[in-house]
Formats: sequence, C-alpha cells, structure tokens
Amino acid sequence: MKAVGARLPRYDGVAHVTGRTQYVDDVRVPNMLWAKALRSPVDHAAIKKLDVKKAAAMKGVHAVVTWEDVPRLVYGHLEALGIPGDEPLLAKDEVRYKAQPIALVAAEDEETAQLAVEAIQIDFDERPALFDVRKAADPDAPQAHHWGNWYPHFEAEMDVRQIRKGDIDRAFDQADTIVSGVYRPAAIEQLPLETQTALAVPEPSGRMTIYSCTQALYFSMGVVAAHLEWPLNKLKFVGGTVGGGFGGKVDTATETLSALAALKSGRPVKWRWTREEEFLCSSTRAPWHIEIADAVTKDGWILGRRMLTLHDSGAYSRFSPYGVTKHSFHHTGAYTIPNLHFDGYCVYTNRVPTTAMRGFGVTSVSFSTELHVSRIAEVLGIDPFELRLKNANRIGDTSPNGIAYSDPSTVSTILSIADAIGHELPADSRTMTRDPRAGELLPKHLVEQVGKVDH
Amino acid sequence: MKLTVNGVEHEVESHGLQPLLSVLREELGITSPKAGCQQGGCGACTVLVDGEPRRSCLIPAGALNGAAITTVEGIGTPEHLAPVQAAFHEHYGSQCGFCTPGFLLATHALIERSPGADRAQIDEALAGHACRCTGYVKILEAVEAAVGGAK
Amino acid sequence: MALHTGRGISAIEYPTGMNQNGDPSQAWIKIKPDGRVDVFSGTSDIGNGSKTIQSQIAADTLGVPYEWITYDNSNTDSSPLCTGTFASRATFVAGNAVLKAAANAKQKLLEIAGKELEIAPEDLEIIDGEVIAKGSPQKKISVPDVAAAATWTYGELITGTGAQLNPYAAIVDPETGRVDSPPHAAISYAACAAEVEVDDETGEVRVEHLWQCFDVGRAINPTLVEGQIQGGALMGLGLAVLEECYPYYPSVEHRGGEFGSYFVPGIKDLPKIDTIILENPSADGPYGAKGISEMANNPQPPAIATAVFDAIGVWVTELPITPERVLRALERKEQGPRREGKWTIFDDDLSVRTVAHEKSRFRFPVGA
Repeated sequence: MKAVGARLPRYDGVAHVTGRTQYVDDVRVPNMLWAKALRSPVDHAAIKKLDVKKAAAMKGVHAVVTWEDVPRLVYGHLEALGIPGDEPLLAKDEVRYKAQPIALVAAEDEETAQLAVEAIQIDFDERPALFDVRKAADPDAPQAHHWGNWYPHFEAEMDVRQIRKGDIDRAFDQADTIVSGVYRPAAIEQLPLETQTALAVPEPSGRMTIYSCTQALYFSMGVVAAHLEWPLNKLKFVGGTVGGGFGGKVDTATETLSALAALKSGRPVKWRWTREEEFLCSSTRAPWHIEIADAVTKDGWILGRRMLTLHDSGAYSRFSPYGVTKHSFHHTGAYTIPNLHFDGYCVYTNRVPTTAMRGFGVTSVSFSTELHVSRIAEVLGIDPFELRLKNANRIGDTSPNGIAYSDPSTVSTILSIADAIGHELPADSRTMTRDPRAGELLPKHLVEQVGKVDH
Repeated sequence: MKLTVNGVEHEVESHGLQPLLSVLREELGITSPKAGCQQGGCGACTVLVDGEPRRSCLIPAGALNGAAITTVEGIGTPEHLAPVQAAFHEHYGSQCGFCTPGFLLATHALIERSPGADRAQIDEALAGHACRCTGYVKILEAVEAAVGGAK
Repeated sequence: MALHTGRGISAIEYPTGMNQNGDPSQAWIKIKPDGRVDVFSGTSDIGNGSKTIQSQIAADTLGVPYEWITYDNSNTDSSPLCTGTFASRATFVAGNAVLKAAANAKQKLLEIAGKELEIAPEDLEIIDGEVIAKGSPQKKISVPDVAAAATWTYGELITGTGAQLNPYAAIVDPETGRVDSPPHAAISYAACAAEVEVDDETGEVRVEHLWQCFDVGRAINPTLVEGQIQGGALMGLGLAVLEECYPYYPSVEHRGGEFGSYFVPGIKDLPKIDTIILENPSADGPYGAKGISEMANNPQPPAIATAVFDAIGVWVTELPITPERVLRALERKEQGPRREGKWTIFDDDLSVRTVAHEKSRFRFPVGA
C-alpha cells in the first residue's frame, strides 16, 4: 500500500498557496446583484405592519423578497428524521429573536441594498422574551415558541429525551457518597474565516445554479428544493471547496433567499454575510445547562448517574432535538455506569437559534461529565487516572442505550497520557486493558450490565 | 486613478474612497485577498504596499496613488512557487486555505525585513492573523522553514 | 500576585457518523482512455482534507499511483449524494463509498485485463498502475493499456459505483432510550492532559501545555490527522478560556460584533502541544480508519478546568473560564461545597432549584 498511511501532499495544496483556490465569493458572473437583509431589531414581537413598496421602488433595487414570495415557508431540515418544521424562512406574523430575517433586498451594489433595507417600513408589538432556560418551566415564564417552551415531538410525542437503565434509587441507596454539580458551557461562534456566502444564478434553461459554501451539497440543495417546491434536477449546487465550516455552514442560511431574489429579479444575486452579521446574527454553538449527581462508592465505582440537561435551542429547533438525542446516548462518556436516570430538554429561548458546532451534542457531555469525574476523584481522594481507568469502558460493557462496546480504547488513551506526563501508576492500573471485565473489574453491580459484543 | 498591482499598472474606475480590497476583487478580479471580516481584525485581506503588510479592507484605494501593491498572485505561480509558498505547501501550513494568502504575504514581508527572525518576531508579525483550522502549529513550522531557508 | 501551575486530565469518546445512522454517501469512478482515474464524490472539503483522503483511498484500492487520481466534488450534476461533512463522517462513511466505487472499478479493470492476458481476473492484482499475474510477475499489462483496450478494442467504459449506508437505528423504547442496533458507525477515543498557569491577582488563565492522545483507527494521512488534532486543540482552548457569544449569558446584551470583542485564539495563545496518535483499527472503516475531526475540540475544556482547580483550588464550571469568574471563585473559595448526609453538593447558586420556581418541572433534586 503506497497512499494510505503516507504523508502525501494536500490535493489542493498548490492552489491554496498560490491564492488560486476558488471560494463562492471569488466566482464572477456578469450582471450580478448584491443582497442585504432586513433583520428584527427586537427579541420577541408581533409584526403589525410590513411595507416594502418604498424600498422596492428605489433606483438600483431589483427585488425585495418577503414571506409572500416563498412557495413553502416552513420546512424542517430534519423532517426526514421525524423532527417537524417550525421555522419560517422569512418572518411572517412575528419575530422570535433579534436578527431574525424579515426581508431580502437585491440591488446593484451593497450600499444601495442596505439603504433599501432601511427604507422598509415595519412596526412591532413587543412581547416578553425568555432568555434563561432554567426558568422556562416556571408558571409565569413567557412563551417563546408555539409548541411551548421545549420541544414536544420526541418519539411517542414525549417532551423529554429520556434514558433509564438499571435501578437508580438502589444505586443512590448503596452509594457511600453522592457528588452533585452544575455545568454551563457557553455559546461560541464557529467562526470560519470565510463568511456565509451564496451566489444564485438563473440559467437560460430555467434551472438555477447556486454557488454555495455549504458543508453538505445535497442536503442544502434539498432544503432549497423543498422551499421552492422544485424537483432536484432544477437546481445545480456548485461548491465543495469551503473556507472552514465547523458546523456553521449546514443551516443553509443564504442559499434559498438568494435563489428567491434571483428568481424575482431575473439576475444573479450574491448574498455575502459580513463578519458583524456572523457575530450577531448567525447560529451559534448551543449553551447548555447540565446538573449531575453521581452515586459513588468510597473505592471509586460510579454506581449510578442522575443527569438533567437543558439545551438552549434558541428561538427555533434547527438540529437541536437531534443534538439532545446524541448527547443522551453519550452521557456516560467513556465509562460504564450501570444505573442511569437522564432527562434532556430542548428548550426554546428568544435568542438566535443554536446549531451544530464541532462535537455537536457531545462536547457538552465531555465538559460536564469529565469535570464532574475530576471532582469525584478530588472528593474521594482517589488518583484521577485510577478512578477513570477503573470505570473505563471495556469490551462487552453496554452503553446508555443498551449497545455493547466492541472495542473501546479508553484504557489505552488514558495510559498513554499518564506516560506522556510522567504520572506514576500502580501496577494493577498500568496493566489494565480493554478486555472484557473479569475478576475485580466485574463487581456485582456490573454483572447484569455486561452484554455480548456483536458485529 | 492608477493602481500598480503585481507590477502591472491599472486604470481604475472605482471611487477613491472604495476600500482597496473591493477594488482589487471586484474591479480588477484579483481575488486572493479575502473579505474575512472587513473590520481589520483577521488579516485575510492583507496585501503588501511598498513591501509592507497592510489591511486592504481598511485602506481607501485613492490613498495608494504611486504605491506598488503586491498580492499572492505576484510572488509566485504553481510552476514557480516562491520560497514561502513552497514552505507552506511542504509543511501543510494550510487547511481550508482562506487565511493563507494573508499569512504568506506577512511571512514574505517578515523575511525581507528580518531574514533571521526568531520565534518572538514571527509571533509578533503573525499575531494579527487569524486561522481557525490549523491551530497555527503547521503554519509556524512552515514559517520557520521559510525563515531557515532564507538564511 | 502569584502565578500558580496546575494540571488536569480528561478521557472522552465520540461517535463516527450521524447519530442513529441512516446517512448515506455515494461515489462513482470512471477510468480515462489512458488509465487515469476520475473520482466523483459529493463530499464538501471544508479544510479537513477530504479531497486528499478520498483520493488516497481510491489510489490504494485501485492499485494506482496517487498522482493518477483526479477528484471532483464540485457540483451536484456530476457528483452523487453525500449526506455532508460533519459527524466525523467524511473519512469513514464517505471514504467507504469511494473505497467501494474503487473496488467496483478495479473488478471491471481486472476483467478486461484478464481478457488481454488470458488469465482469470481472480488470479490478477494491480500494483502501482500495473495489472500483474499473482505468482508470475512477468505476465502483466499496464492499467493505461487496459484502459486503451477497453476503449478501442472492447467498446467498454470502465466505471465503479459505491454507496455506504448504515441502516437507521431506531429508538425502540423512548422511555428508556434503548435502540435496536448500534447508532453509530464506530466510536473514537481520546485522552488529554492540560497544564495551566493562573494569575491569582488578574484571574488570567494561560494554557501552557496540552498532551493529547487520539485513537484514530488508521491515519490515512498522518499529517492531516495532526492538523485536525492541532486545530481542535486551539478550538477547545477557545471554548475553555476565551470565547463567549453572550458575555452576560443568559442575557443577549452586549454581544461582541467584531474581533476585538470576541476572542478567537491567536498565535500568542498557542500552548506547547504534544500529540500521540494511536491506531486501533475500526471494524468497518476504510483501512480501519475512524473519524476524529469533531472530537478534536472536546477533551481540552474539562482538562483545563480541572487544571485550574489544581492550580488555585477553585472549580469554575461555567465556560469560558474568564478572569472575572476565576476571581469571583477565589473570593468564595473558603465556602466549598455543601454537605448534607452523604451528599457533597457543588454549585447551588447556578442550579434550577435556586434560580427558578420551586414547582418547576426542571428542578433537579439534591440532598438527603
């Protein structure tokens, strides 16, 4: 084998270092218009009046797109996974977050487009807004979403993502110590150097070519096709060379509106988000609120875990229910914990909708549960390596949702790090492996949990 | 007004207050300087003005009458890579590539003015350039190789 | 004013492929009349290097030099579907589609070579662009000659198609969360140690050193894997100590709209990074590979937060660990956790039970 395992040069390396790699913003087509968006200046409000006539009549303006121009206004990007749509492409009767797009203007240049945006007449009736997920279930909480304040469409129309395993009450009963804590990782920006940009070009054939920075060509094409109610072959997505994504270029935030403006104006339309727009208007990594209580023995077995997760989905669902589900499947991290009581809620607030970012759903598990395990080691006075090694996944241990681990590398990665930093470990820790549990590593409380590995 | 870019004089129609970045990209079709932020914060728009790295998103084009502007297109080609370009390619100093032109020009200028630049000088020269993909490690390996090669 | 050093560790896991599967990727290949190879994939390269990785996989599966591969992911007219570049699936899931397409094309190459050499295809192999009889290396024909024969002798277009899809793993019992099959294509593992220096007067946390160990299954291109680990390290560092969209979360006030008010890690934030790559091959990944790019920024934040405790004896459990949060924690350091029976209770002030209505559905019970 020559190529696999080899440090071969990047396929696109020469293009990158000569400045020849072409991103969406580098594509040049004649007669191109520039787009700018009207965005909500308020957190939560009814729209009383929206009048674009003056803006549309301005010199140099070739299209103003509102909700009325969208054949299918609401399309849930993960409808195929059973997550119903809840978000209009453009605001119709109300806005639920500051920066929510209300209209798109296409004009000869960016300055003209921006002046037209400012000429759109709009009146709001403000409503109370909800920002704190912890208060979303309070009797007097403002209502952030038409479904209530958290997602109600998990399987069997449950409004909570649940994991139950073993007997949590017995675990807490048997514990020598119970350690609890609260963890709150923040919203951050994906912040790729390339901002979100789309260029929609109507073709003479009646097709539309969309130059897109998406991380997922067919996925985004499907979103546009759904909103436009077009078959896939009427669209051609061009892209595949993206200036960084990190999860922030899956939402398909620019393509559909650019296409609608191109349709309405009959000309190519480019919508390039400014960096300020990325900071203030683009979907972020979600903030999470996580409370954990672990039942542990004095010799460091984690018998059971109770966990509450409140995921801040922002004003709409996007991919959040999927993220909460993925989070639940991994909420034990790299350890085998036989008794589990997990409740996860996908909570709505009046902030910019949150979305995927590198590690989606699991980054929050890693932060909260690993910090919690470190705390447990401190409280019990046990070496943090030894505590982890003891509870680490072995072949045949089962996951929160009942799947056997076939080949976990937790032990080997931990031992590698211990070596790397020169941390001394006793012989019995040093010689641990991923082999199926036996002897001292198979105490009574784990016996029932050890499943069979199946491929 | 006239702008000299990569040794070629252009008659430019854009207004003198237009940022150099958009004159280069929109009017002259020179697209290697990127609109990463248009706030002067990321360095992706960097060009050399008389050999000095400058943020083209912040300079009005009209202020550059008589200056020599250099972009990445002007320092090398796929067939004849400049030493700094070869170093970045060999050391994988680029992932998505969007920030790369800015880093290349800043490094190129550093080597011209400080041929024996040490790590502290390199850090200082590149501190204002953001890269989100690489974590800077291989960029620094490429820069140190380019600096070493220039000695 | 004093500087305090501390260390902390973490151990994590992360699934490859979309949660619960059902995320297809497809690829197809055609061989040009001179034997050069065109690979059509729908995978977006977002900097992770999927163009390179998938080309490497195609080259080795076919048995031709890497330089013979032309890779086209540029548009949806010629490329087939790939669900997307996320969930660490570009190497595993999409790479498998390319591998299958290459294996499929290889089979057709061997059939034509077999006709030319009058040897059964199963007795032939392809090495470095040559089709060679197993055990009789003097009997051979170059791939370019096979492609020419296909074009001008047999009237055949040599193609290959491949599709990778793990069936959707349904949740069979929503009350417990149990699924009917593994909801992932593979699981990757990592561990990390962080060393920080904390200034107890300013509250600043400087990450000095990160040790990172990743099990990547098989490093298709070790340099690109290092690049993901290094990039992830800085992103994890940013999540841990620098970055925050909402400085007064949960309030939406005072968001930063520019680089000066949002702190993305720069070159001066770079710690020393030691990287260890383990290769414990996956059962089903291309050449044993597993996905790693998403998890690359997961292990650092908890290791860094633990290192802060090791340095100055306070737990900061809200991210980012800003100087303000460090100083406030130091002010309250003597308080420590609350003890109630066998419970040790941290962070009362942050919890639902303190902040929200007492009858809230979200109230998380603690204490004896």
